[in-house]
Amino acid sequence: MFQILIQGLLLSGLYALIAVGFTLIFSVGRVLNLAYGVSLMVGGYTFFYTAQVLEMPKLVGVLLAIVVGAVFGLLKYRLLVKPLKGDHVAIEISTLILAVVIQAGIILVFGDATKILHSIIDGVWQFGTVSITANNVAAALGSWVLILGLYAFIKKTHIGRAMQAVSMDQKGAAISGVEPDKVNAATWVISGALGAAAGVFFASYTQLSPSMWVAPLIIAVAIVIVGGIGSIIGTLIVAHIIGFMEIITTTLFAAELRGVFTMILIIAVLVIRPRGLFGREEL
Amino acid sequence: MISKPLLRSLIIWAIFIIGMLLLPKIFALLGFSKGNLRTLIQACYLAIFAMSWDFISGRTGYISFGHPFLVGIGAYTTAILSYRFDVPVMYSIPIAVIVTMIGGTLFFLPALRIKGSYFALVTLAFMELMYQLVQVIRPDLTGGTRGISGIETLTRGAVNGYYLAVSLMLVIAFVLWAILKTRIGTALSAIAMNEESVKGSGLSTTKLKLFAFMVSACVAGIGGAFLAHYNGSIAPRALFDINFLFTIIVAALIGGSSTIIGPMIGAFFLTLLLEKLRPWLPGAERYFVYGGIALLLYMYQPKGLYAIFWQVVDRFRTRRGGQS
Repeated sequence: MFQILIQGLLLSGLYALIAVGFTLIFSVGRVLNLAYGVSLMVGGYTFFYTAQVLEMPKLVGVLLAIVVGAVFGLLKYRLLVKPLKGDHVAIEISTLILAVVIQAGIILVFGDATKILHSIIDGVWQFGTVSITANNVAAALGSWVLILGLYAFIKKTHIGRAMQAVSMDQKGAAISGVEPDKVNAATWVISGALGAAAGVFFASYTQLSPSMWVAPLIIAVAIVIVGGIGSIIGTLIVAHIIGFMEIITTTLFAAELRGVFTMILIIAVLVIRPRGLFGREEL
Repeated sequence: MISKPLLRSLIIWAIFIIGMLLLPKIFALLGFSKGNLRTLIQACYLAIFAMSWDFISGRTGYISFGHPFLVGIGAYTTAILSYRFDVPVMYSIPIAVIVTMIGGTLFFLPALRIKGSYFALVTLAFMELMYQLVQVIRPDLTGGTRGISGIETLTRGAVNGYYLAVSLMLVIAFVLWAILKTRIGTALSAIAMNEESVKGSGLSTTKLKLFAFMVSACVAGIGGAFLAHYNGSIAPRALFDINFLFTIIVAALIGGSSTIIGPMIGAFFLTLLLEKLRPWLPGAERYFVYGGIALLLYMYQPKGLYAIFWQVVDRFRTRRGGQS
């Protein structure tokens, strides 16, 4: 029981971070970024390259991963999303194609084989009968720091409030002197950076492989659909529901079934309550 | 009486069908190997899936990200029936098609309430769900992660395989074309433009969408079932896979969405492109180039090669018209 609680909390923190980066773009720009999973992969591989191939300090690796993720996000916005002028279907399809292209690119550079990432922090902690790796605790803590930082950023800073305004009403925001283009670009940069950081944590949880972008994308999609758009609190709650259900199915039933619950939840919520459990409107 | 434009399209169809059927002979004359024919077979099946995708997504604007789900159901049903229960192929394939159509109805339920991006996502969820379930539930039937191999094949040799695949493709293309020539086809295209006004014209969009989903599922089921019996093997990662989805969508879009000929052009163009790249780029690099070309083409002209072709023709015509 205690085991499930601890592991559930740690995994859910990570899932919350993964989903927050995705929901940001969905809420502000109203587009689905199907290349979001690739941001995680790019982050994971950047960390792998700097920390394990070049053998630089791990902190440098994490920071570099975040920078690369941010640049990747900006490039996606400038080269794909902006030229397509808010055509939702075209953006979804082109980001999906981009994801597959980058997957092939990763195979080209790093090879097809899966890679084990060294833990960011070594060590194992013992809580009574439960042992957890310091790495997973660090990943969960790091996720929470980033989420709270983002929350403060959105609530307190000028550009954060501009992002809120654009997410509510793009035209209204434009009339009030907010430039939607700049706000959107900032959103893609932040989302890319968060995704890359989540990618480092996610890869240290599991492992690096060129197809690792699919699983976090599905998780992010599930959390955002079930939580509803425009609700950070909803995203956090649903991240915990999904994280805990995965841990529970893994411990009590079989590890292979852990995604099944998530999929059924997505389908059920979309059919019964399409705006999500906490969402403020329908898309 | 047959009207003039209809007669012209029928003549184009006749030329196209004869050309496709003569292709093995032309290949033999030019001295290509059997391997080239096998590539064409794969292209035919890809064209079938792309047409099936296009019938929902290109026409009604409901983007399906779960088409491998339908194809997979068709392939798995016939494979399990014929391999595990020794059901003759002439029964197992029709059953597989019917099961796929039932699966298509499942697909249809969410489309009653949601559209746009959410619909795309729920279909993606269907595909991932199936991928995970197939490996866990009754692995004695589905073969688990490794799938099933040694399924009865229908044809021997590349030439026979090609004739089967190309006839399937041509029949499906012709039937879809004929459906779209009727008023139902017009109504389906209208749904993509404005669903509310179709409803306002007194048509039942629910019935129209159901019809489109059934046709699409039927085509996907036929393609999936015959592909399983051509390859002789199925595996979860080959069917319920995002890369497979990518190939289907890209084929339809590159060729030209919401046309009949477009998905076929796209499927042949992309399959042949992959094959031509093989000598220089043997591994995953091919997908890098393939995806890159697809992305550039899509960004340049979302309506695909078909539209680019007509653009060029139009430009040529106006230039000539200007001179004379």
